[in-house]
Amino acid sequence: MTISRRDFLKASGLMAAWTALSACAPNTETPPSHAHATPGATQAATSQVFPEFTQAVVPSAMPILDGEALLQHTLRRLTFGPTPEMLDKARSMGLEAFIEEQLLPESIPDPEIDALLQPFRTLNMTVAQRLELNENSRSARELIDATILRQRHSQRQVFEMMVDFWGNHFNIYIGKFLCKVLKTDDDLKVIRPNALGKFRDLLYASAKSPAMLVYLDQAESLGESPNENYARELMELHTVGVESGYSHHDVAELARVLTGWTISRPNNQKIGPGIYYFNPDIHDYGEKHILGTMISPTGESEGMLILDMLASHNSTAHFISQKLARRFISDSPDLAFVDALSQVFIDTDGDIRQLLRTILNSEAFKSSAGMKFKKPLDFFISTLRVTDAKMTENSRKLYEQLQLLGQLPFSWLMPDGYPDVEEYWATTSGMLDRWNFGFMLASNVIRGAAVNLSALTRDAASPEDVVDVLSIRFLGSRMPDDARSILVDLASSNSLDVIIPSVAGMILGSPHFQVR
Amino acid sequence: MDTKISRRDFLKLAGSMAVAPALPSWMPRMAFAPQGVEPPGDILVVVFQRGGMDGISAVIPHGDPDYYHHRRRLAIPEPEDGSDQTGIDLDGYFGLHPSLRPLKDLWDEKTLAIVHAVGSPDPTHSHFDAMDYMERGTPGEKSIPTGWIGRHLQTASWQNESPFRAIGMGGVMQSALRGPIPVTTLKSIADFHLQGGTAELDELRARLSALYNLGSPLDQHALETFNAVDILAKIDVTNYTPSGGAAYPETEFGMAMKQVAQIAKAEIGLEVACVDIGGWDTHNLQGQLDGELPMLLSELSAGLASLYHDLGERAKRVTVVTMSEFGRRVYENGSSGTDHGHGNRMFVVGGGVNGGKVHGQWPGLAPDKLFGPGDLNITTDYRDVLGEIVEKRLKNPKLNEIFPNYTDWKNIGVVQS
Repeated sequence: MTISRRDFLKASGLMAAWTALSACAPNTETPPSHAHATPGATQAATSQVFPEFTQAVVPSAMPILDGEALLQHTLRRLTFGPTPEMLDKARSMGLEAFIEEQLLPESIPDPEIDALLQPFRTLNMTVAQRLELNENSRSARELIDATILRQRHSQRQVFEMMVDFWGNHFNIYIGKFLCKVLKTDDDLKVIRPNALGKFRDLLYASAKSPAMLVYLDQAESLGESPNENYARELMELHTVGVESGYSHHDVAELARVLTGWTISRPNNQKIGPGIYYFNPDIHDYGEKHILGTMISPTGESEGMLILDMLASHNSTAHFISQKLARRFISDSPDLAFVDALSQVFIDTDGDIRQLLRTILNSEAFKSSAGMKFKKPLDFFISTLRVTDAKMTENSRKLYEQLQLLGQLPFSWLMPDGYPDVEEYWATTSGMLDRWNFGFMLASNVIRGAAVNLSALTRDAASPEDVVDVLSIRFLGSRMPDDARSILVDLASSNSLDVIIPSVAGMILGSPHFQVR
Repeated sequence: MDTKISRRDFLKLAGSMAVAPALPSWMPRMAFAPQGVEPPGDILVVVFQRGGMDGISAVIPHGDPDYYHHRRRLAIPEPEDGSDQTGIDLDGYFGLHPSLRPLKDLWDEKTLAIVHAVGSPDPTHSHFDAMDYMERGTPGEKSIPTGWIGRHLQTASWQNESPFRAIGMGGVMQSALRGPIPVTTLKSIADFHLQGGTAELDELRARLSALYNLGSPLDQHALETFNAVDILAKIDVTNYTPSGGAAYPETEFGMAMKQVAQIAKAEIGLEVACVDIGGWDTHNLQGQLDGELPMLLSELSAGLASLYHDLGERAKRVTVVTMSEFGRRVYENGSSGTDHGHGNRMFVVGGGVNGGKVHGQWPGLAPDKLFGPGDLNITTDYRDVLGEIVEKRLKNPKLNEIFPNYTDWKNIGVVQS
């Protein structure tokens, strides 16, 4: 059987080989160096872009980066788009110290965020207060707005990146019933406190998150005929993964174990509405057998026992490691590396900081420049960051663009979260939406975002200067010669002040800007 | 293969016309066809109901007493003439949910066929595995990376060069379409163009197209996008009025179906369209005559019937098939919903179907007839249905390549040759 075009491209490492030509060049005044790319890779990239589909090609070896190239690569992966200020900070601190600081987000002052989030009062309300609001979608809207503002402006970029990662891992569709008012608490009390902590704590917190219990129907599960929705996804998507070999019987038994894990009703006077509690009246107090273990009927602690088992399970270590490697290395990470990462997970009891350090120190990571196609959210936030777009009060129109691109936060219906693979996002309509967004943003026609390109290009006196200044700002380095000459041509076609938005939009729409 | 080379020549040609698109405003299907090849069969529209539809609420087995025994709260009442609060009888044993009323006309004129107790034989209850297997066309097997439609397009004797040969609505490429044949994804025809003033647009587009001609793996996507933009620019979107009294639902699904009709009518080489409709995962409060499931059924039936009526005479050369990754548990759960099950039903709509009939064997809902934890059994493999459509309606006999490893073919008779 022949293989598909996209699989072929992945297998052959073409994306990586190609981007190595353009993305690894250091930020200097000299033209970009091609020294990092092996001759074989260059050959593959230029002559075999549309191969026949009947043959596989041995992946080209990718160079292992160091110095400035590694610094830029790391920041492209760890942040929602490196700004010149952040790159400078990493250069002056040294990459390792920069990463260590990012892994301790509380140590990084973030005054801009504190000020920006001031107007969003629902973020600090209780569930009861949010329920009393006349506008029932206000807290959902404010949470989405706040999330985008944080990704755009926060100094704690690695933290926000991991909040996004876990928010997708423990996906909750904010439009479902009470999730509109409950997801805010999930974000504040489940995801954020644990995003760089231990996986176990995250899992425990999520299992008692009212938003999760509503989203996956656990809150409605009754003893005599339990609802299996949460039990199934707890194993399949949150912990051991579907490949681990549990049976339907395990799912059904887990659903019985979890009966009674529910939330208080909207009219609850005693503890207030939308709070997790264990209700023994709807718990199934029979004996259960899960994954070969007998569970004695003890009530809520049965569930805690299972969560402990799942958090410690080798399959969980593997499943989470693979997902992290997919996010930070490539769509199809090397299996030997995933195994090594799983071992770190097991040794450290799922210490997320340690997992990230392992990834960043690996050859697999250091040789993966440009291998990740930006998800729409990565693309969207990075355009705002590199153009230094000011987000104005009325951001509706801006967020409609993100919705059009396909990745408004908390809006994925199914429990698996937004896909993190190129194959899903690199489509015809996807390309067109990106191009249009880049041009519109650069031309200042989207209400809700203002860019000041003349400030960014203040010192540029020639078409060449404009192209180089913008390329270095957006991509970290000058464009390779072939792309640069196309852009210089464009920049020369009209007076500079007229043409600059087009040049900027073109760089944002270029293939070079679509990868991270 | 000659067809592949000619495809690349076509793309090169199209790419070089970037500045002034010179495609004819009306482009018959034949314009894309290589010389001397038989024309293809029907246009195929595949509707995927994501989440797992409750098949026995959609097509109710009101003649099976166990249905009412198991479904105390959720069963649809036995058909009564003239009532819109009961099932709509089809053949004395099966009936339609009242929210599927628009499909009854198609049933009566024999352009709707139903297959019951159908599905993928793999026992998984995972949405994601079940969808994956179904769309690959290889239940239980993940080693083949392409989808069944992708393999159909690849192996058909007819190779059409249009970017609209296969489209994924909703802006996504459904995994059934995976394969070497390019797929255009589409959200809105009206918005499928580069934004900006016309004068500078041609200039921008030429440069952008040049940037995507430097050897990036994304070049192919860009080229396909430019080609698709050129062709869609010729379709009048603002004045489109559906024919045949079609009233598409004002939802993403409804809009997707409407645009499939537009593209089919524009004759720009459409062979396969994939459309998704989500929200079928009704674990909680699924609703009997009103509520979540009935609303979805009504949206589904309005979309299917509208497409059929809108296409008019063309519907004779269109086959629409609906599927969902699995059915739902026959036993209700404690929250007035249903958990993941197994067997389901499929609708097949079009001028070439053997309509007005529920195909397949009904296994019954007695407890000893159920599958696994209490699910409807499968007596018809979904590949039998799709295989028959591919062979008889799409005129592609290469079923052994489209559904590899499947040998136990059964003749259903759901479509005409």
